This record gives sequence, C-alpha cells and structure tokens, in this order.
Amino acid sequence: MILSSPVLWLYLVLLAPASGAVLSQVPYPRASEIVARVTSLLALAAGGALLALPGAGTFGPYFGLDRLSDLFLFMVAAVYASSTWFSRGYLSHVDRPFLTPERYYGLLSAFALAMLFTLSVSDLGLMWIGVEGTTVASALLIVLERKPASVEAAWRYTIIASAGLTLSLFALLLLYRETGTLDAFTLAAHPPPLTGSLVLVVGLALVGYGTKVGLFPMHTWLPDAHSEAPSPVSALFSGVLLPTALYAFLRVYDVVPQPVPAALRYLVIVFGLVTALVAAFLLQQQRSFKRLLAYSSMENMGVATVGVGLGGLALYGALLLLVAHAFAKSSAFYSAGTVLRRLGTTQMSRVRDLRHRLPATGAAWALSGLAVTGTPPFGTFFGELFILSGAILDGQLAVAGVLLLALVVAFLGVNAQLGRMIFLEDPQGPSPRLSENLGETFLPWGNVLVALLLGLVSLPYLSEAIRAAAGAIPGGIP
Amino acid sequence: MLPTSDVEALVGLGILLTALYLQSESFVGPLVDAIALQSLLVSVLLGYLAWVDDDPSLALLAGLAVAIRVLLIPYVLRRQIRAFRWRFRELGASQRVASHALAAVAVAIVAWFIFQQTLGPALPALPGAAFPFVLLLEGLLMLSTRTNTLVQVMGYLEEENAVVYAGALFAGGFPLFLEVVIFLDVLGVVLVAVILSIQRSVVGAPEEEYLEELTG
Repeated sequence: MILSSPVLWLYLVLLAPASGAVLSQVPYPRASEIVARVTSLLALAAGGALLALPGAGTFGPYFGLDRLSDLFLFMVAAVYASSTWFSRGYLSHVDRPFLTPERYYGLLSAFALAMLFTLSVSDLGLMWIGVEGTTVASALLIVLERKPASVEAAWRYTIIASAGLTLSLFALLLLYRETGTLDAFTLAAHPPPLTGSLVLVVGLALVGYGTKVGLFPMHTWLPDAHSEAPSPVSALFSGVLLPTALYAFLRVYDVVPQPVPAALRYLVIVFGLVTALVAAFLLQQQRSFKRLLAYSSMENMGVATVGVGLGGLALYGALLLLVAHAFAKSSAFYSAGTVLRRLGTTQMSRVRDLRHRLPATGAAWALSGLAVTGTPPFGTFFGELFILSGAILDGQLAVAGVLLLALVVAFLGVNAQLGRMIFLEDPQGPSPRLSENLGETFLPWGNVLVALLLGLVSLPYLSEAIRAAAGAIPGGIP
Repeated sequence: MLPTSDVEALVGLGILLTALYLQSESFVGPLVDAIALQSLLVSVLLGYLAWVDDDPSLALLAGLAVAIRVLLIPYVLRRQIRAFRWRFRELGASQRVASHALAAVAVAIVAWFIFQQTLGPALPALPGAAFPFVLLLEGLLMLSTRTNTLVQVMGYLEEENAVVYAGALFAGGFPLFLEVVIFLDVLGVVLVAVILSIQRSVVGAPEEEYLEELTG
C-alpha cells in the first residue's frame, strides 16, 4: 500500500542523489563510486515508480507533481544513473584530474539533485533556485581535465548562464507582483489577465531560461561547456539539463491565459526556429566531434521550443522529441567518450575506420547519430513529425518549411561527419582493432535502444505517459 | 521628513549613478568599491523600507545584503586583486571609456522606455520603479562588454542588486525564505566563479592552440 504513495517516491527521488552527494565523500574512491552508483539506481527506481503511478498532485505548499514533471523526473533519473555508471571507465584515463573521485561523484549527484528538485517543486521561485543550482553544482565538473580551454569553458558557462537566469528571476518578481503567488499549478489553473506586465514576464523568462536551454543568441556557453566537460557530464548537459531549463520556461509560459496571443506564440516560435537553423548550419563547420554533438543538441532544443510555441500536437511532439533525444544524445556522448579515451583526440579529421577499430562503439555511435537527427523509426523522428504536422495543421506553412530545412541540414551534417569517422578507411592504412569492454559499450547501446524502442513500438506505456504529460499543460492536447 | 517615494527616488538615483560609473571605470579596485557602495545603497533602501513598513523580513534582508554583498564578496574580490597583480586594470578598457559610457546611457534610455511601455501604467505611484530594470540591463551590458573575469563577476552582482532592488520596491511580500536562498545561491555562484578565476590564473591565459578547441 505504502508503495503506491507518490510522496514516498518523491522523497526517494530527491533523497537518493542528496545522500549520494554526501555519502560519496568517504575518502575511499571505490566506496565513493559504489555509493554514487547505488544512489543513482535508487533515484531511477523512484523516477520509474512516479511514472507508473497515476497523477499525484501537490505535497505541501512547495512540492507538486503532474504527468509532465513525472515524465521529466524519469528522464533525468535515467540519464543520471547511466552517466554515473559510465563515469568509472572515463575517469580512469584522466591524468591529474582537477577533482578527486569523491568530489566528482559528489558534484555529479548534486547536479542531478538540482535538476530533480527543479522538476519536483510547484513553486516557480524554488524552480529558479533549482535551475541556478545546476550551474553551481556542474561548473566545476567541466574543469575535470584541468585544461586551459576547459577552465575557459566553465567560466563562460557560469557567467553567461547565471547572468541569463537573473533575467528570469526578475520575471518571477514581476509575476509575483502581478498575481501574489508563484505556485505553478495555481497559476496554470487560474491564469491572470493578459497585461503588458505578463508579456514582459514571458519575454524575460524566455531570454533567461532560454540562455540555459541554449537558444540563439544566448547559446554561446553551450558548445564550449558540452565539448570540454567529461563525456558523462556532457551527456547530462545535453540530454537532460537543457530540457530541464525548457521545463522551467514551460511552467512560466503556462501562466498565459488560453488562447495564447499570437505575438507571444510567435516570439517563442521564432526563438526556436532561429536556434534550430543557426545550429544546423554551424554544426557543418565543426572539427571536434563533441562540438558537433553540442550543436546538434542546440538544434534539437530549437525544434522542441518551436513545438512548445505551437502547442497542441506539436507540444506532444516536443515532449516525445525531448525524451528520445535524452537517451540518444547520452548514448552519442558515451560513444564519443570511448573514442576520445581510445584514440586521444576529438578532432574528426583524425578519427577514421571506427567500424574496424572499435566496432561495437562505432555501431552504437552511428545509430545514435541517426537517432539525434530524427531518422525513422527512432522516437525523435515521430517527435519531429508531430511538430511539423502541428505546424501544418495550424496553417504555419512558413514555420514548417524553415523547420524542415533545419532538420534536413542537421541530418546531413551530423551523419556525414559521423559516417566519415566510422566508415572511411584510414589513408595511412588499416589500423589494428582496439579492445572494447562491456562497461564502455553496454550503456551507449542501451540508451540508443530506448530511443529506438520509443519510436519502434512507441512503448505504449511511455507514449501514453507523454500524451498525459502534454495533456497536463493548458493548450496541450486534450 | 521626506516622503517615502522621494527617498526611494533619491537612493535610486544614487544606485544609477554607481551603475554609470561602473561602466566607465577600468581599474578593478575602484570597481569593487563601487559595487560595494551600490550594494550598500540597496541595503539602505531595504533598511529604510523595513523601518517605514515595520517589516522585520526586510530588515533581515538588509542585514544579509550588508554581510554578503557589502562585506564578504568585496573582501573576496579584493583578495583576488592582491593575489594576481596583473588583474588590477582591465587591459584595453581605458581606450573604450567613451563608448562604454555612451552605451550605458543608451541602454538606460531604452530600458526606461521598455519598462514604461509595459509596466508603467500599472505602477503610476512609483516614479522610480523603472530604476531596477535599468540597473538589470546595465549589469548585462557590463557582462557583455568586459573581458576581465573579476569585472564580469561585478556585472553579475549588479544584476543581482537589481533583483533585490526590484523585490524591495514593487514585489512586497515576496517569500522571505526564497529571498534568503537566492542570496546564498548568488554567493555560491560567486565562489564558483572565484575558484574558476583562480584556476584560470594557475593554468594561464588560454593560448591560441587551446582556444582553437573552442572555435566554431
């Protein structure tokens, strides 16, 4: 009976990473790693249980769950667990790391805790604190390899993300002044009348949280941080941090009374479209495979933002895209981490013939490349299809056209570059096959298969959960 | 005794003057003093409103602002300047003083206009209500135009001062615990920024071959 109580799982999903952050400080690296692994699995179990239980409601004045938060909690918990398990092999190759394993696992757990906290609260002020907390917890993780470029990237991330988030805090002050409450559920149920002040709130929140989502032109921290962070952390950044920030914006956007005025919808759509288009073209000129993946994340977030702006079926597509992308992109970053460890470079021109040198990793990477660019039958394909369909059904043919262009350009860019690394033979002759262990290949394969299953059989249960999540949002599908 | 709105406008003017000064100063030491003064003015406003409204939560926030933003953070920043002498002046900034000052005035006018268009009708009784929004954008301008890491931290602090200022001026009743956590959160960001700043000094300024990694 007690197992069917959502509050139990809500506590567990927060307490697990919190205890991981504290208990992993034991001065024994192996013990620290075991603690982090166990607590991440507990968080995943709690996230899964919340997704399985029916809608929960609010818990006290500050916590609250609905199907949307349940879905995101599960997604964050899953990538947190896989990144924690993937970390061991990755850490072993880092010379003179900036962080000891205890500090690394402690900060990784704190980073996950900040994201899970953001998704568990109904108070928009606490939600802001959670998003800002992700910056504090994750900035030092970027410096793990102690390179000048990684310190520079962490610096830019800290300053740009924090500066942007201050704008969203200002938006929340204005919202509080307008409504006298910051409870997201109350505000969504009883939206305030549309005023100039509310328009300013949405605009500031879009720019503020959009900085963390990676929307153009506030995206400049994103490729640096994603490319310089260790791969398990990059997977968390790309897979779940960006969607968590988009979730925070979505909760503010929910406050706008329905139907959302065309000017506000276009504001969100244009930010998303320009982001997707700019990222699609920028990723063509990348030389580092990690930056390529970072720009691909930016492109996906732009597409998802368009879905949020369009609402209805497109919003459903945006959620499906975010979930499938989280699994696919984390898989891509794990493979990238293995390639970096084995070959010692992130330069795409120096990586060739992976299908012979690292066959299992190369194959997982090829699949994840197809997945993150919306190839059928991956879940991302259906997500993008729903967004495009939503735009066409809404009569937004120009939006659909530009979006399609961005999707095609990104598809060609990512897969052509990954294809060269995987299938082209090394001009200097065949290279020997390198060893791969189960720890390196299991998680990239596991995560990309989840993205595949999301599309292939649409996992009836998870698909239903996404539909329910979209229905939880005013303006979402009925 | 002056009416409350006059006191608010007077302190607001002082805060704006510090914001304009911050834009055109290239020496880092005086910048730290100016940001501490700006934080002090915000604290004074909080203290004054606590006294007028008999609101102990505002008094607590005023105390926190003095402890964290007037004393602790400027102390940490001054230690940074002493530890790394080369940082005491932002290279190149002195040649751009005029353009920085012009940009600051332009941003102030634009911010004022945006605020009056959107929130002005709702806040007719608060003549200085646009000041925090102007301050917010001035902080953002400082962050985007400066290259010295410590000066960028000060741009961020200016933005945070704007938020506290706005909270005091027109978001009365904003939950106290949220304000307190936000104060601590800001402290966390500044500490992380300082750690990174130290690391930057330890590993040296990124050279071309390293910056190569961050291109594209």
